[in-house]
Amino acid sequence: MAHISTDQLLQLETTCGSFLYELQIIWDEVGETDTERDKMLLELEQECLEVYRRKVDQANRYRAQLRQTIADSEAELAAICSAMGEPPVHTKQPIQRVGNLKEELNSIAPQLEEMRKRKGERLKQFLEVMEQIRNISVEVMPTEYIPSRHVDESDLSIRKLEELYRQLESLQKEKNDRLKQIMDHLSTLNELCSVLGVAFKETVREIHPTLDDAEASKSISNVTIERLATAIGRLREIKIERMQKLQDLASTMLELWNLMDTPIEEQQLFQNVTCNIAASEEEITESNTLSVDFLSYVEEEVLRLEQLKVSKMKELVLKKKTELEELRRQGHLVVEEAENEPEIAISAIESGAIDASLVLNQIEGQIAEVKEEAFSRKDILERVEKWLTACEEEAWLEEYNRDENRYNAGRGAHLTLKRAEKARALTNKIPGMVDTLVAKITQWEKERGIGFTYDGVRLLTMLGEYTIVRQEKEQERKRQRDQKKLQGQLIAEQEALYGSKPSPSKPQSAKKVPRTSTGGSNRRLSFGGAATLQTPKPDYMHSAKSTRTAKKLDDLGSRGLDIAGLPVKKLSYNDAITKHQEVGMPRKPFASIVPVNTIPSAPSMPVIASTLEENQAPNKMLLLTPKNPATAAAVPMRVASTPAPTCLVNDGKLSVVASVEETEYSFEERRLAFYVGGR
Amino acid sequence: MSTATTTPTGGRELSQPPSDGISNLRFSNHSDLLLVSSWDKTLRLYDVGENVLKAEFLHAGPVLDCCFHDDSSGFSASADHTVRRYAFGSGKEDFLGRHDAPVRCVEYSYAAGQVITGSWDKTLKCWDPRGANSSDRALVGTYLQPERVYSLSLVGYRLVVATAGRHVNVYDLRNMSQPEQRRESSLKYQTRSVRCYPNGTGFALSSIEGRVAMEFFDLSEAAQAKKYAFKCHRKSEAGRDIVYPVNAMAFHPIYGTFATGGCDGYVNVWDGNNKKRLYQYSKYPTSIAALSFSRDGLLLAVASSYTYEEGEILHEPDAIFVRNINEVEVKPKPKALPVPPP
Repeated sequence: MAHISTDQLLQLETTCGSFLYELQIIWDEVGETDTERDKMLLELEQECLEVYRRKVDQANRYRAQLRQTIADSEAELAAICSAMGEPPVHTKQPIQRVGNLKEELNSIAPQLEEMRKRKGERLKQFLEVMEQIRNISVEVMPTEYIPSRHVDESDLSIRKLEELYRQLESLQKEKNDRLKQIMDHLSTLNELCSVLGVAFKETVREIHPTLDDAEASKSISNVTIERLATAIGRLREIKIERMQKLQDLASTMLELWNLMDTPIEEQQLFQNVTCNIAASEEEITESNTLSVDFLSYVEEEVLRLEQLKVSKMKELVLKKKTELEELRRQGHLVVEEAENEPEIAISAIESGAIDASLVLNQIEGQIAEVKEEAFSRKDILERVEKWLTACEEEAWLEEYNRDENRYNAGRGAHLTLKRAEKARALTNKIPGMVDTLVAKITQWEKERGIGFTYDGVRLLTMLGEYTIVRQEKEQERKRQRDQKKLQGQLIAEQEALYGSKPSPSKPQSAKKVPRTSTGGSNRRLSFGGAATLQTPKPDYMHSAKSTRTAKKLDDLGSRGLDIAGLPVKKLSYNDAITKHQEVGMPRKPFASIVPVNTIPSAPSMPVIASTLEENQAPNKMLLLTPKNPATAAAVPMRVASTPAPTCLVNDGKLSVVASVEETEYSFEERRLAFYVGGR
Repeated sequence: MSTATTTPTGGRELSQPPSDGISNLRFSNHSDLLLVSSWDKTLRLYDVGENVLKAEFLHAGPVLDCCFHDDSSGFSASADHTVRRYAFGSGKEDFLGRHDAPVRCVEYSYAAGQVITGSWDKTLKCWDPRGANSSDRALVGTYLQPERVYSLSLVGYRLVVATAGRHVNVYDLRNMSQPEQRRESSLKYQTRSVRCYPNGTGFALSSIEGRVAMEFFDLSEAAQAKKYAFKCHRKSEAGRDIVYPVNAMAFHPIYGTFATGGCDGYVNVWDGNNKKRLYQYSKYPTSIAALSFSRDGLLLAVASSYTYEEGEILHEPDAIFVRNINEVEVKPKPKALPVPPP
C-alpha cells in the first residue's frame, strides 16, 4: 500500500465527504428512506470497492507482467550469453532486489538489447564464414561432404568462430596449394607438349575444360589434379621413349658417318640431333625436338645412310672379291667350287641375310691367306715361269731348226741366230732347272704338308710327266738316230753296190717332230715316217756315216729288199713304227699315270682332243694307224665333275672315313672276306 | 597320328631283329610287310603293323639283298652265289640260279616280269621266275659289266647298274644286248648306291664320300644342265669335315622327295627339285644300312646296322626302326622368294 499523504487523504476525505454531504442533502431533498440510503450507501461502497479492486488487480497484473518480462529478459540474456560463450552479464539474485521492478527492467532491457545485437552480429559472422567455407569446399572437394548452411545457434562462441575461421583459412590454403599445383602441372605440361609437338590446348581441354579457359576459375578437384598428373606422366614417358629413340638414331647416324666419312656439311644438317645425344630427359626442352615428324625425318635419314652403307659394302665386297681372284690367278692357285661364292655372297647381302662386314672379313681373311701362300710360293713360281719360258724357247728352237731357210741372210737373221743360240743354252739348262724345281717343291710340300698346285694341277705331277715325256723323247731321238745310222749304212752299202742314192733324210714330207708340250701329260707320236732328229747336224752326220758294216745290210737285205726307194723306206718305216711302238709305249691305256685320287689337268685335255683329231686324218692318208697312247692320259669325264654344292655344309678339309685303295673293295666285300677268314 | 607309340630315337623298334648286320630291307608294294636280308644268313619277313616276325628263311651264307615278288613271295641274293625265291606262306623255297661270285643285288621288274641280279662276278643276270627249280630254264641272259656290281635300281623299263670303278650302265630291259648308256659316276669316290627317281627321269648316286649326285637319263644339254651333286652326311669338326659314306637312299612314292642314310647314323630327307634338305631325323644308334618307304609313303623303315666301314669293331646292336612319316617331313618346299630389302 502506497503511502497516501495525509493531505491527500484529507483531500479525499473531503471530496468523499462533500459528496456524501451533498448526497445527504440530495436525499434529504428527495426524501429517501434510510434503508434506501443505506442501500445506496452500500451500493456506493460496493462500487467503490469494486473500482478499487479493479485497480488493484490491474496493478497486480502489471506487476506480474513486469516480473515476467524481467524474468524472460533475464532468461534470454542468460541464453544469449551462454550461446555466445560469455559469462552471464546479469546475475540475478531472486531475493535481492537491486531496485524496483521497473528499474530492473530498465536495466535489463538495454543489456538484453545489446546482447541481442551482438548475437545477431555474431550470427552474421558465422553465416559468412560458413558460406565461405562452403564455397571453397565445393571447389576443393566437390564430391565430399559439404557442410550445410545451418548454423548451430547454441554455439556462437568466439571459440567456435575462431575454429571456423581456422577451417576457412585451411581451406583457402588448400585451394591455393591446389591452384599452384595445377598451375605448375600446366606449365610442365605446356613444356612437354611443346617438346613433343603435341597440341597443348587440346590436351588440357581434355582433362578439364576450365583449365583451358583463361577466364573461368580452374577446377582444382582431386580428379583434375590426378588427371593432370597422369597426363604429365604419360607425356613424360613418351618423351623419354622418343628421346631414347632419337638418341639411338643419332648414335647410329654418328657410326654411319664415321664409317662412310660423310662430309661436314651433311653432318651439320643434323647437328641439332647429335648435340642431344647424351642429354638427359630434363635437358631437352626445345620445342618440337621430339615431335613425331622430326623423329621420322631423322629416321629416314638414318635409313638412307644405311642403304648407302649397304651399297658401299657391296661395292667393297665385289672389289675385294676381284682382288682375291686376281691374287689367286697370279699365284696360280685354283680353288674348287669358287664360282658360286660371289653370287651367293651378293644375293645374301642384298637380302640382308648376311652382314656384309662378315663377308668382308671373310674375304679379307682369304686375301691374307692367299697373299701369305703366294708369298711362300713366290720363289717356286718364279722358277716355274723360267722353266715355262725355257720350254717355249725350246719349242721355238725346234721350229726354227726345221726351218730350211734359217741360215738365209735376211732382215733380222742375225737376231734369230742370236736367239737360237740363247735358246740352245737355255734348253740345256732345262733339266737342271727341273731338278732344282722338284727339290724346292718337295721341300715346300714337306714344310707345308700339302701338295703344291699350279692352276689346280699338282706341280710335281706336271714336272714328273714332263720329265717322262722328255725322257721318252730322248729315247725316241736316240732311236731315230740309231735308225738313221742304220739307214745311212744301208744307203752307203747300196751306194757301194749301186751308186749313190738320195739321202733318205731329205724328202720326209711327213716328218713331224714330236712337239714338247708342257704342263700336260699328252704325247704326240711321230708317225708317217722316221722322225728326224732335232738338229740338222746329226742328219748330215748320218749321211756322212753311210759307210756301215755290210752285216747290217745283210740283215736288212734279208727282209727282201732289192730295190731301194720307197718300198724300202716304207718297210723300214713300218719297222720304225713297230719298233717305236714297242719302245715308245710303256703304258697301257687306263694305267695310272694319273693316280685315281688326283685331278687330271683340265687345260690340256682339249689340246689332246684337238691334236688327236688333227692327227687322225694324216694317219689315214698314209695307211698307217698307230695306236695313240695319248688316250692314256685322258681320263675323260664327260659327265661334269661335281658342281657347286647346294644348301649344305661348308667345305673344310676332307677326311674320308674309308680310303680308296689301289684295288677298291666295297664294305660288303671286306666284311665277307673277314667272315670267310674265320670270324 | 599313329596308334603305336613313337620312341624318341625315331620310330618303333621291330621285335626279333636279325642277329647280325642288315644288308637291305624293303616294304612290299601291296601291304605293310617288310622283307629284311641280313648277314646272319636269314631272310626275314615282318608284319610292321603288328610288329611280329612272320617268316624266316635260313641260307648257306649271308643274304646280301632281297626284294618282293608279290605279297606272297620274294627273292633273295646271297653270298653263297645263289638266287632263290621264297613263298612266305608255305615256306617253300625255289632255286633260281647261281653266279660265280656272291650275288650283291636283286631286283624284280614288274614291267618285264623278270628278276635281275648283279654280282661281284662282274655280271648281270636276268631270270624268269617261272623257270625256277629247273636248271638253266630260269636264266634269260647274262650281261658282262666292266666291274663288280655294287648296286642296281629299276624304274619302268630302265635299269641302272653301278659297279666298282665308278662305272654306271643304263639298260633298257627290252633290249639288254647292250647298255643304252655307258657312263661314269660324276662323283669321284666309290659308288655306294644308286636309286632311280620314281618319275623315271633319272637316278641318284651316292658315294662313300658323303655326296649324292642327281643325274638324268636324257643326254640332251638342257637335261644334263640340270644335274648336280651335293654334299651330305658330313660333320664339321675343328675346321675339317668328317665325311661319311651314304649307304642308302629311298624315294618317297608320292612326293618324289628322297631320304638318304649314312654312316653317321642320320637319315636326311631331301627335295631334289628345290635342292633343299627337308628334314633330319634324330641320330640312330649306328650307321644306316638301308631305308625303305612303304607303298603309301606313310612309313619309313630304317635299318640301323653297322656297315663295316671301319672294319671289325664293337658296335651298337642291329635294329630296325619304323617311323610314321609326317607330311611336313617329306613334302617338297618350293623356293621362297627373297625378301625385298626394307
